[in-house]
Amino acid sequence: MIKESVIQADSQLTKVEGNIVSSMDGEMVMLSINSGKYYNFGEIGGEIWRLADEFPTVKEIIDELRNIYEVDEETCTAQVMEFLEHLNKEGLIEVN
Amino acid sequence: MKKAWEKPELEVLEVMT
Repeated sequence: MIKESVIQADSQLTKVEGNIVSSMDGEMVMLSINSGKYYNFGEIGGEIWRLADEFPTVKEIIDELRNIYEVDEETCTAQVMEFLEHLNKEGLIEVN
Repeated sequence: MKKAWEKPELEVLEVMT
């Protein structure tokens, strides 16, 4: 099934359960029990995953990232949206 | 001081028999 692009700034993210998360050399890694896939989120991907616990909407996650990292809003929004689309396609998050 | 930004990428590897 092909999922359409549904993520917007006010979208709320929910993490899908059934994944084992760990940290390796400062980067977040994950093993999906459901799919048998191993994911490397990298440093910033791991930061986004952690922020999703604290901040319910995509816009809040982007705002917080811009407090931490030197990046303009347009670049940050486009790249975070693309990353979240990938997570959604892999079935690691649900978008509401 | 803010950290340097890098594009977030999801690296996917197949793994469990």
